Amino acid sequence: MYRNIFKYDDMKRAEHMAVRESVGWYLFTHQLMQVEGEGAEAFLDYMFPNNIATLRPGRDRYTTMLDQQGEIIDDVVVMRFDDHFWISTLFPSYMDDWFYAHQGDYDVDYYEVSDDWHMFAVQGPRSKDVLNALCAEPVDDLRFFAHVENSIDGIDVIINRAGFTGEKLGYEVYCAEGDTDAIEEKIGAAAEQFGGRRVTEFQVMAWTLPTEAGFYYMRDLRHTNPFEVGLAGNINWDKDFVGKAALERVREEGPAREMVGFTVAESDIFIQAKQYGGPGEAVYLDGEEVGRVSKLVYSYVRDTNCGYILAKKGTLHAGDVIDIHGFEAVICPKNWLA
Amino acid sequence: MTKKIDQRLPQDSGATKLPCYAAIKSPWEKMYGFREAMRYVTRYEAVFGASILQGIRILIPDYEERAQTLCQAAFDRMYETAQKYGITQDYLLNMHPFMCGEFTGALIGDEGDDAMMMPGRVQDFGTYRCEKELDACPWDIIGSELCRATTMSLQAQSKGAAERRREGPSLDYAMVEARGCGDRHCRIVAENREKYPMPEHPLWQSFGPIATADMIKFTPEEECVEDPMVFREECDFRFANGTNLEETSEMAAMVQFATSSCLYFFPMLTRCIAEGKLDEKMVLHVLKCVLEASGKAAFGEPYARLAAREWLGVPVEAPWDGRIMGGHIEMMLQALMCAYEVEAFNKDEVILVIDRKGLEISNGWMQTPCHVAYWNGMVKTLVSPQWFVFEEGSTDKQIRVRICKKIDKFC
Repeated sequence: MYRNIFKYDDMKRAEHMAVRESVGWYLFTHQLMQVEGEGAEAFLDYMFPNNIATLRPGRDRYTTMLDQQGEIIDDVVVMRFDDHFWISTLFPSYMDDWFYAHQGDYDVDYYEVSDDWHMFAVQGPRSKDVLNALCAEPVDDLRFFAHVENSIDGIDVIINRAGFTGEKLGYEVYCAEGDTDAIEEKIGAAAEQFGGRRVTEFQVMAWTLPTEAGFYYMRDLRHTNPFEVGLAGNINWDKDFVGKAALERVREEGPAREMVGFTVAESDIFIQAKQYGGPGEAVYLDGEEVGRVSKLVYSYVRDTNCGYILAKKGTLHAGDVIDIHGFEAVICPKNWLA
Repeated sequence: MTKKIDQRLPQDSGATKLPCYAAIKSPWEKMYGFREAMRYVTRYEAVFGASILQGIRILIPDYEERAQTLCQAAFDRMYETAQKYGITQDYLLNMHPFMCGEFTGALIGDEGDDAMMMPGRVQDFGTYRCEKELDACPWDIIGSELCRATTMSLQAQSKGAAERRREGPSLDYAMVEARGCGDRHCRIVAENREKYPMPEHPLWQSFGPIATADMIKFTPEEECVEDPMVFREECDFRFANGTNLEETSEMAAMVQFATSSCLYFFPMLTRCIAEGKLDEKMVLHVLKCVLEASGKAAFGEPYARLAAREWLGVPVEAPWDGRIMGGHIEMMLQALMCAYEVEAFNKDEVILVIDRKGLEISNGWMQTPCHVAYWNGMVKTLVSPQWFVFEEGSTDKQIRVRICKKIDKFC
């Protein structure tokens, strides 16, 4: 009973480690919101707490999106093109509603283009080699969070140097929906040449790879604010943005909670985590509930169970040994690649 | 007889009388909150469904044939639903284009479970394996054939969901434990057969075995939950899944009243009739017989009659007459969020005019004669054999139910 769903799974391990050691590639199409118009830059600068106005064409920026209470309702990557923006989101319906609610007099138009584009993630130390073997123009000079137009065997693509794996080298290949099969075939063949493999498991692309790097996915951020989850560093406090007033209060008073990492050495464990839905396992310290388990996956790099706890600020410290549902856990920083 | 309405509740009592807190209210002003109403109506519907299945067992005596027929009907109906309305679910459940394969169907099942008062937890959610454990199920008294059929409706939803995105791995859904079979939990495990090979099986053999039994996470009795997330404090009274869908009990009610267990039975019977496998008159005859007996059994014991008065808040001095039966039906209709009007409510008769769409929902026309037969059985033991419940003056849009004394030498 409770045989670890990650540890002994050779397929998940192989897919995960392909990204860490050579190259892993996978269809990783998010929903895309296209934003354009004279007022697009000002509008997005108001919608997001991080700077959008300073974002230059060809570059990307990660930012949260907040509600009026300063809680995170989405975290996105904004990609700027010459005459429009793309926002890579996992909640297009929320975003559409939220934009509509705040559009006011901004001269801006936004609409989803998810059906028109697919995206392949090509991630890992050999990803640059794969892209250079495929693309008409080499990608050597492409900086992190930058994108350029390119082509693969005559098919127009957009190459974005970015990823959700924590790898220093990783790219996203955007192609028109009609070209997806062809691009898929070419990436697969090229990756094989460099010892890579396709990642097919959702748990690897959305959970194990990002978590090892301390990244967040969906439910991790729900009902948190940027201070609680370590995403307040790049907020531009000199501008107005949705949720600013509430977030200023948090800044003055200090966050009530913080996201910490933990590991569990025992292999076959049974601990509930919010990533599956529900409230997550309660974490007790001296009989008092101090937090809930947000995430529990497996680090194939460290070969241990690892995850996040959203805990009362200051209650759990690196090195603390606690009991979670009968299993011994050790608190640690939430990055297993460092 | 008079159409007088005695002093009683305002006819529009219930949710609209309490704008901040939905409740149901009996004619004697006994009130129940939303949670109790949901618990009550889901079990009421389950008992009704259990009776219907007994009828089906008479009509199709062979277990395998019956289970296969139910499973096939459930699969086909839900696959069609997925094709028609699935895109809405994609957005509601935040399914992304990169989530390729039939595992996305597990998200649909998870949401539906919680809304239908079947609380539990997702134990695994991946491209090649999913696991969901339920601690409670109002339908656990209905019959194992339904457990099998619900699994196949999930299988169909998953197929439909997978077809809305680029091709991905298939999953074989199996209910390896079922409360309807006496297990502590209901447990669905879905496995990809290329990664976890097992022999092929016909649709109705949806109980397993599976290849990954050693991965099962079994929650012990003392840690099981009784309520869905929308009624639990530690969940902030919200359903929340892993892809950030959050819902309150309002949505739960919508799903609940639209998906009674009979949704599996009446469409299947309608199909069998259309295909000439069953005779319509015989189907209705058998169902009415079973339901009338089931209704009589509901209040056959003296303490059950007293408990019904207590449930409804009937004053001790109030006489045993049709109003008690009327109040009982009203509570069920309110909990089901089915609109109705009280045309008469006095010691001689009760007349309720019920919105037909509200009662039949998507379950079809058989729902009404079956309910009336059920109530007619109930009134015999709840009030007295002198009393009858029957339809009189119904229209396409309204079901007019009359409760009064009468003599019927062929009843």
